[in-house]
Amino acid sequence: MANSEYLLSSPPHVKSKELTGSAMRDVAIALLPVIAVAIYFFRLYAIVNLVAGVAAAIVCEWVMRKVMGREPSIGDFSAIVTGLFVAILLPPSVPFWYVMIGTVIAVALVKELMGGLGTNVFNPALFGFVSLLIISQLFALGNMTLNLGSLNGVTSATPLTFIKAGALNGIRPGYWWLFLAHAGGAIAEVSVLAVLLGAAYLIYKGHVTWHIPAAIIGTVFILTAILGENPLYMTLAGGLMFGAFFMATDWVTSPDNRMAQIIYGVLIGVLIVVIRLYAAPTGAVAYSILIGNACTPLLNRLFVRKRFGAVKTVPVETD
Amino acid sequence: MELKTFRGGIHPPYRKEATAKKATVEISLPAEVVIPMQQNVGAPNTPTVNVGDRVEAGQQIGSSEAFISAPVHSSVSGTVKAIEERRNFTGAMVQCVVITVDPNQPAKWTEKKDVGDLSPEQIRDIAKEAGLVGLGGAAFPTFVKLSPPKDKPIDIVVINACECEPFLTCDHRLMLERADDLLAGLKLMMKAVGAGKGVIGIEANKMDAADMLSSKLAGDSAVEVVVLEVKYPEGAEKMLIDAITGRRVPPGKLPSEVGVLVQNVQTAVALYEAAATGKPVIERVITVTGPAMKDPKNVLVRIGTPIEHVVEQSGGMTGDVVKVIIGGPMTGWAQKDLSAAVVKGTSGILALTKEVVDANAEQQCVGCDKCIDACPMFLVPNFIVRYARRGQWDLADKYGARDCFECGCCSYVCPARIPHVGYVRKAKAEIAAAQKK
Repeated sequence: MANSEYLLSSPPHVKSKELTGSAMRDVAIALLPVIAVAIYFFRLYAIVNLVAGVAAAIVCEWVMRKVMGREPSIGDFSAIVTGLFVAILLPPSVPFWYVMIGTVIAVALVKELMGGLGTNVFNPALFGFVSLLIISQLFALGNMTLNLGSLNGVTSATPLTFIKAGALNGIRPGYWWLFLAHAGGAIAEVSVLAVLLGAAYLIYKGHVTWHIPAAIIGTVFILTAILGENPLYMTLAGGLMFGAFFMATDWVTSPDNRMAQIIYGVLIGVLIVVIRLYAAPTGAVAYSILIGNACTPLLNRLFVRKRFGAVKTVPVETD
Repeated sequence: MELKTFRGGIHPPYRKEATAKKATVEISLPAEVVIPMQQNVGAPNTPTVNVGDRVEAGQQIGSSEAFISAPVHSSVSGTVKAIEERRNFTGAMVQCVVITVDPNQPAKWTEKKDVGDLSPEQIRDIAKEAGLVGLGGAAFPTFVKLSPPKDKPIDIVVINACECEPFLTCDHRLMLERADDLLAGLKLMMKAVGAGKGVIGIEANKMDAADMLSSKLAGDSAVEVVVLEVKYPEGAEKMLIDAITGRRVPPGKLPSEVGVLVQNVQTAVALYEAAATGKPVIERVITVTGPAMKDPKNVLVRIGTPIEHVVEQSGGMTGDVVKVIIGGPMTGWAQKDLSAAVVKGTSGILALTKEVVDANAEQQCVGCDKCIDACPMFLVPNFIVRYARRGQWDLADKYGARDCFECGCCSYVCPARIPHVGYVRKAKAEIAAAQKK
């Protein structure tokens, strides 16, 4: 035994149990309330799209990594989460191959071609979603939906279109319905409560902090009020809550320092209000967060935290 | 009640139960001791003995002219067998005096004399002559810390009794077994630097020791026991000063900058011992533990004892040992084999099993920011690593590489298993080299 060799490494020699994969798995768990609500309202439509997203993501990631000579990385759960995200960002009425195209763009282009998880500049799922928005306007992709039975409420528009139409009274859904469940628009928009449940889990697990979501939601609320619009409606409707808690907080594409995160959140909040009110409500949150992503490297450089002892020093008391 | 603490840090499993309640035992002497000439921060010593010389326990065998240095003494009576390079616990080759141990060891330092009338000057001399260094692991020469610059008066002496590293309990045991010596040592330190106040900073997982010291201090207004939150690295000098006094040592400065002197429990006990009996640093208490150690305990060992002997005399290791650490699990040194010797700064020997040692491979950083929240120095560890990987040392410096004291919190929390400390060490060396040019 005396001459046997033991493991060598730099310290520390003990580590926390958490791995990238287990944290990503927690994100998938945090999506369960949103998924449950979607399945309750949209049945097979939701299930087919969610499965299509996840399957496309797993296959696409495996193929891309094989082609690029990288080890498979299904264990990090990142592909699964991206697939779920793309399906959730879209309305359940879109054909499943829409979801697959968006997922392939997300995984192949935005993630793997950029160097893999950790080196991507843009949030893959959001980029995939926005690409679909643009592609569907450029090309007639057709409407080859599967007949999966009647689809309740899906035909109703996203509540945000009511803002644009200037019809905020009467026909728009009430606050409580927006908060609990309103089957219109994307899966992500259906229930604010479901989004907040998942967000609470992520905050409890320590994967997300309050800084980015609070900055985004606070900015949207205050700016909307200043501009004379309805701040409560603006924060509850559309994909704002989902975007603030699940998309803008993406580890890889958000700034690292807390101060930079708050500036990033404010920037995204301002963009959301401007785009929603003066351009198009559809995709406003997604466009804003992607622009925020592009600013992340700069924000990281501009806002470096003050080091220990550089903040304040108490003078020596001499007696 | 909210306990005092610092910002950042981590809560690893502490695993101190195996040894915390067992009395310290003295182990038998080895056949030979290997005493490195450098056991301290600062200059190495030059041997003052020759091969074949007869040496007595406590005899000085190495000294240096440099200011930041500490002499070394023979820990046993015996004969100098060799003076040669041996591998120390860090893996570096250092000059060592190898001494064959005499079977008959005369009893020494049994009489205690009163230390009450020693002058500050005398206390400093005693610390220097005894070869006293920070016994918590840092091994910075104590007399240097006891000689603060005249323009930086010290008003508080803090005894670091946190022992925030998991597994280790040697300071805890020492407080329980030698509380009076600890308090006497603290008084000597306060006198040496002219501080009116003494504080013993202790984590809340050692309440038995805290209560005992408090009861001994009843009626003494100069010394206070402050119970701190159990958090790593509560015992890091700058964190401890912040937690107790609210003073923050500026980047690149020493604690004297804010009027504080910090010394470890074992250092204070050893200072008192040296003052009262004349005994230099020739032995210390170390924690021999870990899931692969058969009979975990604290042992009193002579400096220079090969760790193989310490492990054997402590009951040996189980077959499933995969990693052996000298020091604590957060900052200690992994050992290739058991050949290194105990030095003044050795606080523990840990034998770890596969279950405790993490085998996950390093992955790409995903920007989770957990290292940033954990860093007690408010640095940006993931950015230091990013720029160190690219060889951009100026940027690694910008994000704080030189302020890092390598506590390992960032690597502990990292889900991508990035070995930040290794990158920081490289960055520090490169930044220092660039400045020399």
